[in-house]
Amino acid sequence: MGRYGKRPEGLIDLAAEAAGLALEGIGRKAIDLLVVGTMLSHGPYGPEAFLPRLAGRLSLETAAGLRVESASGTGGMTFHAAAMALESGRYERALVVAAEKMTDQPTAVITKELSASLHTSEVATGATMPALAALVTERYLQRHGLSTAVIDLASTHARAMGALNPSAHFFQKPATLGEVESSRPVALPLRLLHCSAISDGATALVLERGAGPATVLGLGQGMDALRLVDRVELSTFVATRLAAKRAYESAHLTRKEVDLAEVHDAFSPFGMIHIEDLGICGPGEGPAWFEKGHAELNGRVPVNPSGGVVGRGHPIAASGLAEVAEVALQLRGEAGRHSIGRRPKVGLAQAMSGIGSHNFVTILGREAP
Amino acid sequence: MSAPSELLELFRCGSCQVSYLPTDGPCPHCGATARERHTVPALGTVLAATELLSPATGWPSPHRLALVELPGSVRLLAIVEGELPSVGAVVSVRRDGAIYRAGSEPAAAGIERGEGESPRVGATDPSFEPPR
Repeated sequence: MGRYGKRPEGLIDLAAEAAGLALEGIGRKAIDLLVVGTMLSHGPYGPEAFLPRLAGRLSLETAAGLRVESASGTGGMTFHAAAMALESGRYERALVVAAEKMTDQPTAVITKELSASLHTSEVATGATMPALAALVTERYLQRHGLSTAVIDLASTHARAMGALNPSAHFFQKPATLGEVESSRPVALPLRLLHCSAISDGATALVLERGAGPATVLGLGQGMDALRLVDRVELSTFVATRLAAKRAYESAHLTRKEVDLAEVHDAFSPFGMIHIEDLGICGPGEGPAWFEKGHAELNGRVPVNPSGGVVGRGHPIAASGLAEVAEVALQLRGEAGRHSIGRRPKVGLAQAMSGIGSHNFVTILGREAP
Repeated sequence: MSAPSELLELFRCGSCQVSYLPTDGPCPHCGATARERHTVPALGTVLAATELLSPATGWPSPHRLALVELPGSVRLLAIVEGELPSVGAVVSVRRDGAIYRAGSEPAAAGIERGEGESPRVGATDPSFEPPR
């Protein structure tokens, strides 16, 4: 993946850079499928022409192509689309690219664009993504009798991990508990350092049929009501639980066999909720997982060694694919300074769309299926 | 702000009998279009509330929102008028065009609380336990 953060390049340059890095690893092997994803529509071109523009840039016009979009879950969707297409037997080798250009726009514009993934009745009340995330966080803390302080720890974990990742927005920029708890309030109890950063960035990977050092073992998706008030659960994400159940079943694995997890902590408390929904720990035990060091590089099941969305930065469409790519790097033993203590056999990536309306779980393993 | 005696209009599905907020669309739980109107006291319990210090363009700062549960477990997202209510507080609710507004309600004793989680739209598979 290319470096995330504030970048001078435009969308196509970012995507082409990441694609070039991914293609370096396969020599002259042919790509017969290009799967791309981007969400935002500002800039000189809309997302509609992203696929042909990138195909032209990469001289891949002879390949088949798919462009998918699922808000912040777009990256997860690109990977699932590619995996399913290869599984059909129609294609041999896919280049998967997810990219977003954000920092060329004022925050107010980005906030408005991201609100497009919320229900119109929520937007009509002035709700933003952080506002709904704050309400979910409040319900989570209430349900388990937790103090606001526990979510600060999720932020410092994310920034500590991101500080080790040269591709992350916050590389070499850890944050202290004091910096988190004194950061600017955004939507209480969420403060600025509980929220993911507006970033530019792209991730690309090559997926081919057959088994290798990072093989797809299981895929699962889950959906939930778009509008928060229509949901059965307000303090957890049913879409993740459904996606995880399906992914574990398709991989013929249980949560006990997962050696690391990359989860979609667009807001740091979500990292705690996600590992509970994935069954890595029990309900309400997410904060303790972080407090006891189980989420760290040498922990029982490391969480977000890449820095996660908060530590890595959040070019919206790219994040879900970055999660899969990080698991693949860890399985291959190529994660560098942020390698987890024990090289994993099985890793899980979870991506989330919007405020949890469509979530994706991907299980990769070193062993052949 | 609504007086405690005011009522709020809801729809009740003619098929699954679940109450829901008035909408042009079908029942959000089962998709049926048959429905009847009914009213409930315009009082609800705060499930969660937040104060936005970085609101969307066009909204004042701070901007306060609350998740409110009405009798019958119908939930809504409301703009809070006045101070941020605490979780569990009872607030008055009124409809204002396409949105709802909530205000503090000191004389709200005796409100009928929702009976927990009711059937809702979205995932209803009973196997939705955390995959442990």
